[in-house]
Parts: sequence; structure tokens; C-alpha cells
Amino acid sequence: MLVVAAILAGMVWSRLAYWQVAQHGRLAMQAQAQYRELVQLPAVRGAIFDRNLTQLVVNTTVYSAFVSPDQVAAADRDRVASGLASVLGVDKANVMTTLASTSKFAYIQRRFVKTKADQLRALKLPGVGLQEETQRSYLPGIAPGSTLAANLLGFVDWNGDGKYGVEQKYQQALGGTPGFISSYRDLANREIVLGTHTHQDPINGQDLVLSLDANIQYAAEQALADGVKRDNAESGSVLIMDPATGGVVAWADYPSYNANDFNHTDPALFKDNVVGSVYEPGSVMKVVTLSGAINAGAIAPETVINDPGVLSVGGYRIYDWDRRNHGNVDYTYVLAHSLNVGAMKAMLAEGHPAFYSNLQAFGLTKPSGIDVADENCLLPPAADKMSDSQYATASFGQGIDVNMVQMLAAVNVIANGGKYPPPHVVERVGTHINPVLLQPQRQAITPETAAKMTAMMEQVVQHGSGWTSRIKGFELDQAGKTGTSQIPVNGQYTQDVWASFVGFLPAQHPKFTMLVVIRKPHYPGSDRDWTLNDGYMTAEPIWKTIAQSIVVDWHITPDPR
Amino acid sequence: MTSTRILARRRLGASGATAHVTAQPRRRRRTRGLVQVAGTVAAERLRLNVFGHAYVGVGAVVIALLFYLALAAQITQASYDLSRLQDQQRQLIAEQDQLRYQEVTMHAPAQVQQQAAQSGMQRIVPSSYVAGSQVAIDLTTPLGASPADTTPLWIRAVATVVNAVGGTRDVMAATKK
Repeated sequence: MLVVAAILAGMVWSRLAYWQVAQHGRLAMQAQAQYRELVQLPAVRGAIFDRNLTQLVVNTTVYSAFVSPDQVAAADRDRVASGLASVLGVDKANVMTTLASTSKFAYIQRRFVKTKADQLRALKLPGVGLQEETQRSYLPGIAPGSTLAANLLGFVDWNGDGKYGVEQKYQQALGGTPGFISSYRDLANREIVLGTHTHQDPINGQDLVLSLDANIQYAAEQALADGVKRDNAESGSVLIMDPATGGVVAWADYPSYNANDFNHTDPALFKDNVVGSVYEPGSVMKVVTLSGAINAGAIAPETVINDPGVLSVGGYRIYDWDRRNHGNVDYTYVLAHSLNVGAMKAMLAEGHPAFYSNLQAFGLTKPSGIDVADENCLLPPAADKMSDSQYATASFGQGIDVNMVQMLAAVNVIANGGKYPPPHVVERVGTHINPVLLQPQRQAITPETAAKMTAMMEQVVQHGSGWTSRIKGFELDQAGKTGTSQIPVNGQYTQDVWASFVGFLPAQHPKFTMLVVIRKPHYPGSDRDWTLNDGYMTAEPIWKTIAQSIVVDWHITPDPR
Repeated sequence: MTSTRILARRRLGASGATAHVTAQPRRRRRTRGLVQVAGTVAAERLRLNVFGHAYVGVGAVVIALLFYLALAAQITQASYDLSRLQDQQRQLIAEQDQLRYQEVTMHAPAQVQQQAAQSGMQRIVPSSYVAGSQVAIDLTTPLGASPADTTPLWIRAVATVVNAVGGTRDVMAATKK
């Protein structure tokens, strides 16, 4: 009897020991989960401002409505469904189906504005709850349903992670560090604020100040949209920089998207063509080629060459765009009339190694390093891996791929007295200045070479292909260069082109540099004359319209003569 | 606690056991607290028995319990008030964010242009510019003599008097060139 009692007592004891010792941790956690709550305190995401401290992004609170069908009595279902349908505009039948289901939780609608939430709250519907969420709201763009600088800024997804553009690149600085609060809950799941709790404040994200100018950005987007439509083009992009600092003033893509409604947007539109895709720059590259040759002492603007309209290089016959014999011409003429043979001869006079070094000096053999997410670049092969024909075509911008930031940063060298200003978008992170602004700028070419090239680019506007970009009052004080290059598909060049124009003004003391690229334009009449798709007909008018806005907005006047 | 024993000892002492008391070894004098003394005095006056003490003890515990419950209820209520105020604060912040967005949007280039267009305003591109002319300023040039004061002597005399009387420097500032 005593043995049986001892065995029974032992069983009870061992069972108790099992629950109290072996399962202690798990049970303690389960108990704690019933009355203790760990709430994450989200950090407030930093704001983004333009150079004039115009706020480009605002954090707003939005609401999501959910129901707990098991808490809605059958008699109340109709009232609840009607209330939700009237306030949120959802289908009443669908709500009724949800309420009749056995699920414990279901969203009715997500991310609506506070006014709707207030209406819903006033109805006091049983089993209906509201969940607060933070949303980034961006400024309206050129058309309803578009937002300003969407491709540059990117957006923030519903998890609070920055996607694309500046939002993604500066996720860590903008996002901050979330805090937490550990508190107790009563039986009705209400927080006992005065109970024992641990509290860790969040560290809010830092604000960003960009070099962007919202007014110029708007003007650029508007002119670009009009231009792309007029040219029947597939798409277009505009990039404007301050040549003295390398700061981006405007960054526009068309078509673009609505960052406030990213979840209903075709993901293909998220891709940014300014830095996210490469193109062959065409004759804009001649600015780099001739600058390098002048800097190396191989040529001078007044050096005369013979241009028969064609040159055989590496077993290929490469023609000028017009296939005409131009006779004896100087290099100013070569640039003004965009002659491929002249560019190739300059490259040959300079030599392959010097030409390649020049590409490096202008930053075309490595990524630009701009502080925007997802930079795409297709670097040229090593100097000793390039064939003669590759060198030849690269001298006039074919067979070499760059992104727009790389190309405009290279032109900034000319506008900035031969120095390479590192391209960037963010000027300040919180109270700290972007370190790239504090570094000395690299001298890529001599100031004298930059001055000579500026004078040659002025001639492009005054006597060459840049004539359609002339701005009243600045006819003698603006520099530019057109570029048109065929788009290769599966290794074969097609009739579709990238048309571009780069320029700056005032020529001697540039306030801005601007590059406009139009993809696959089909200008009216271009089916008969393909040159109508050239940069001077498609990209230049857009450049001119935007430049006029900048001149007015920034009160730029021509330099005295 | 010790009060009943103390009372018993005192009763024994009062009945004439002085010699016994003096025969005891000398003990360290214990200091008694105010509460203990007051309790002793009260007990002496009330002459409570054991049940009376228990009754008082239970009563004190009940009072303490009620006090604790009242306090806990108040704390809970305050806690709910705080929770409600936090909720209200969240709503106000949401409203503030909404207003901020409205304000920012009103200053956005799109809105400004739309309003300008509605008002019939147009942006005109200047057809010509007044080109700036370079002006050389030599900061090392000597300043030269001050310009002569051509104010008549009598005006200066009057001004001096007025300044002295009126205590103002405005007249001087106005007459100085």
C-alpha cells in the first residue's frame, strides 16, 4: 500500500517537476504573452527638401479598416456591411460574405485618408477596427496621377523600405532606428499605461536636402512630356546639373509614374532611364574626344584636316553622317558640323592609349558613383582589348555605352574649367554636408583646353547643328552639341535612334549644364527624311524650353561682351 | 506583539515584586518607538483583551485593503485616461500631417502654375536682356577728403540747440549728408 502511494506520489511529483522545471520557459512565455505586450515604436522617416527647402515628401497617416467576423453578431452584419460600403465605397455583398465567413481577421480596405476613418469611427460598428499606418506623400507632378521627380526620389513600400532612387539609396539615414515599448494589458486588452513597462524611444530619420530645384524640375518634366509627345518618341529624359558642384538640379523621365499610388503602377515605369539604363551618346562624345586631343597637344581648334566623308579603319569603311566630301576643314568646323571622320582623325592623332586615358579622365570608364540607387553602366573593355574599329566608333560615340549621369558629368568638365565635379543629388544629410562636396575636384584637362572647347561648342550653336537651341539674348553666349546614334538590337543597328543635345550657358560662366535624350523619336515626316529625328529637331527644342525657364527663374543674364 | 507581555510585567511589578526586579541583572535600556508607546497607552486606557486586539488588527487590514483598492481604481482610471489621450494625440498628429501635406501641395509648382493659369497669368520669355557691365572697384583707393558741409551756420546752430533740448539725433541724421 505504501509502495503504491509512493509510486502515485512520485508520478504526481514528476509531473509537477515536468511542468515547473522542464516546461517553465515555455509556459512563462505563454503567460507573459497574455498580459505583456511589446510594441514597436516606428521612427519618423526623414523629410526630403529641395535646394530652396521646398518639402518634396511629407509623411502622412493613413488608415486600414479590418473586421473580426466572429465578433459581429448575425443580426448586425447588414448594418456593418452597409456602413462599410457607404463610407469606403466597397461592395456590400463582398463585405457580407466576409462577415459570414469563419475567419478571425480580414482587411476591408487599406490605406485611406483620415476623413474616411473619422466617418467610420463615428458609426461605431461592432467588430470593425482601424489600423494606423504611415505613408509617404509626394508632390503632384505635371498631370493628375503623376508625382514630381518620381524617378529620382523613388518611393517607400508598405513595409517602410525605400525603393528606387534617393529613398532606396538613403534608406538607412532616412529610416532611422525604431524604438519599442513593453507594457501590460488588462483583460479587455487595454494598455495599463502606469504599469511597469520598458520604453526605448525611436531615433527618427534624418532629413535630406537635395541640390534639386523643384521649379526647374517641374518645368523640365512639362517640356519633356510635351516634347516626347510631339516627337512621337518612346520615352525621353532630362538631366540638369550645376557644373561647379556636380549637383543635380533636375532629373526628369517621361513617361513617369505616380509614387503615391505605386501599388497600382506598371513596374516597368519604375525604371529610371537617367542612371538606370545606358545609351550610345553619339556625337556628344566628340566633345570628349576633341578635348582630349587638344589637351594632349595632338590637335588645335584651328588645325585643318581633309575630310573626304569616309575613312577606312580596321577593315571597316566609316562615313560622316551626310556621306559628303567636306574637303579641308578645321576642327571647329568638325565639331560644329559633327563630322565623324574628323573625330576619328583626332583620336588617331592622339593615339589609342591617350584616347583611353582621356575616357578615364572624363569618368567614362567607371560608374559615376552618383548617390541614387541602381546605377547601371556598361564599361568599355580594357584599353588593350579594344579593336581599332572600336576605338574609331567610340571617338564619335557609337559602340560605347554610358548613362546620362556619366555623360553630363563629362561635359561638366568643360563647363567647370577642366575639373571633374563628382555628380551628386544630396547636399546635406541632417546637419552634415555631403562629403563629396568637401573633396577637392580632380583636374581632368587644363583650363585652357576647357576654354578652347567651350569656344568650339559656342560655334556649334552659332553656326552648326545647335541652331535650334538658341535662346534670345544668349545667341552669342551659349554652348552646345547635338548627338544622334542608332539603337542596336541583337547586335545590328536599327533605324531607331537616341537623339540628344547637351549644352550650357552662359558659356563663359555656366550656371547649368543640361542633357536631353529622346529615345526612338518619330518626328512627323521622318519616314521620308530620317535626319528629322536628329537631336536638332527633337532634343534641342526641349532643351531650349527648359533653358528659358531656368534663365527666368534664376535671373541669368548674358556675360558682358 | 510585545505589548501584552509588557503589561503583564508591569502588573507583576505593581503587585510588590520590587526585590525580584532589583535582583535581575542589569539590562540595556531599550528605546521604544512613538507608535509602540502610543499603542501601549491606548491599550492601557482601552484595556483591550486578545479578541479586541485581533478585531483592531483585522479592521486595520481591511482599511488598508480598501485604501489600496481605491488607489488602484484611481490609477487604472488615470491609465485609461492616458491611453485615451494618447489615442487623441495620434489623431491630432495625423490631422497635422494631413494639413502639412495640404500646405506643401499648395506651394508645389504644379499648384502654383495651375492657380496662375486660372488667374489668367502667363509667363513671358524675355526677348532681350540688359547685359551687365563690368565695373572695376579699387578698394585700395584712398577715401579722400570728406565733402564740405554746406548747411548754413545758423541752421546748424538751431539744430544743435534743438538736439540738445529735444534729445534726438534724428535732426542730425537728416541734415548730415
